[in-house]
Amino acid sequence: MTYQSFVALVKMELKKLIRQPSNLFLMLLFPAVLTLLFGIAFTDPEYGMGINLLVPGLIAYACIFIIMTIAQSFSTQRQEGLLRRMNTTPMTASEFMGSHIATNMIIAILQVIVVFILAVLIGFRPNTGVEGILLAIPIAALFSISSVGLGLITATVSKTPEAATGLSFVFILPQMFFGTFIPITETTRPIARFIPSYYMVDALTLIFEGEWTNTNILLDVGVISIISVAIIALGILLFRKYGNV
Amino acid sequence: MTEMPLLKLSTYTHRRTLSKSVKRAKNTEILYIIFYIPTKTQKLGQVKERIEMSVKSDTEASAAIIIKDLVKRFEDVTAVDGVNLEIKKGELFSLLGPNGAGKTTTINILCGILKPTEGTAIVGGYDVKKSLKDVKALIGVCPQKAAVFKFLNARENIELFGSLHAIPKKELKERTDSFLEALDLKASSKRKAKGYSGGMLRKLNLIVALISNPEIAFLDEPTVGMDPRARRATWEFIRSLKEQNKTIILTTHYIEEAEALSDRVGIIDYGKLIELGAPKDLLKKHETKNLEEVFLKITGRRILEGI
Repeated sequence: MTYQSFVALVKMELKKLIRQPSNLFLMLLFPAVLTLLFGIAFTDPEYGMGINLLVPGLIAYACIFIIMTIAQSFSTQRQEGLLRRMNTTPMTASEFMGSHIATNMIIAILQVIVVFILAVLIGFRPNTGVEGILLAIPIAALFSISSVGLGLITATVSKTPEAATGLSFVFILPQMFFGTFIPITETTRPIARFIPSYYMVDALTLIFEGEWTNTNILLDVGVISIISVAIIALGILLFRKYGNV
Repeated sequence: MTEMPLLKLSTYTHRRTLSKSVKRAKNTEILYIIFYIPTKTQKLGQVKERIEMSVKSDTEASAAIIIKDLVKRFEDVTAVDGVNLEIKKGELFSLLGPNGAGKTTTINILCGILKPTEGTAIVGGYDVKKSLKDVKALIGVCPQKAAVFKFLNARENIELFGSLHAIPKKELKERTDSFLEALDLKASSKRKAKGYSGGMLRKLNLIVALISNPEIAFLDEPTVGMDPRARRATWEFIRSLKEQNKTIILTTHYIEEAEALSDRVGIIDYGKLIELGAPKDLLKKHETKNLEEVFLKITGRRILEGI
């Protein structure tokens, strides 16, 4: 992997985020709006859901939408012949995929920061100090890898960027319902255990509640790591074999 | 009694030095035993393949591209059907033919985008099936459809693709400036490609292909959609590449373009190479005024019919 290629690709992906309004909205503004909206709507204790309970789910919610942007991005680049063109250069698969993973980790970190700052402004008071947010950042970054993988799987089966947008909800919706801020009941928990975002929300909830010594955090991080590695490996494999690059 | 050859032991760490020495050795009575230390990225098999290529016939050693019995099938369609071809180093070779004749498929195989069903394709001494990484380091590809990032400006696009070829920053900037100047894109180089006209996109497409200063350039219909002035400027640019001894493989529907630029042309139809030679020789051989008539005479249809 050459440093020059890797950095050039990361820069390009970040420019895409900034220069394409739809991407910027989906990745940074949407989580911000959602935090404000849900924060204001559900801070009334009568509803039983304080902002403190919502924040881990909101962070997961933001990271889940990486699936859609990755699926759109790969389908668009494939449709425009860009993947094929890049494939005629000495760029390696690890430089290319590594740059996508790194870019989306940066995005996930920005999402955590945006959601966290806005949540604090509207009353979020975690039972932890700066160390809590510092630990939430790498967990979100790790979780974003699974979203990149699911985005690749979506792009593999989508013929157009429009189809990719629609199909990405196959992976977004279950994570939204079983692994964000929608309460998990004993009936839905067995399903939620198969959903990557469930473990992220569980870990962040424990951290924000100040339960540092809870071994479940380690277990959650372990599961997120295994799931992320497995999904990204599967995504790369499927996209290279059936992605029609 | 057979005279024993003089033995000479040599160690090489650089591919170019090795090639020159192998050539020298062929013309002497000295038997060289060559030790070649592969670089980190090279496998011993690839080095062996390159040495074998170098000690083959002079014709093969001077060839930039060698295609042997090349076949590409897509399910029941044979897009390339037993093509044999040698393109010399420094040659500007045009591949002509109607749409769907197999031109782009042939080029895609040579660039490593598609795998051949049968046959061999050697590019710059490397087999595309075995040493694709080495092939990619030698080539520049200008695809038929302008493939550039629309949210980046011209300079950013060029510098991105230059970085993928690991061109040092200073050199990349100098080369970018000179290419933008040559193709009259400097004034609009800071505008996003999204706002470019078709002709400007084609120019940018061409620059991106050539920014790595490739030994072998594949230009797939590079002037489609350009106005006559831009087309002439592009021709001059392509001619300047030829003066630098670059091997250029051009596909085009513009007969006058092929006639004006090419050392040799190959006419392809239904996946088969049906005619090959210098434009002048073909006109003489078929007693026609232009290549379009040559094609019409051979196939009974016009090159432009498929468009």
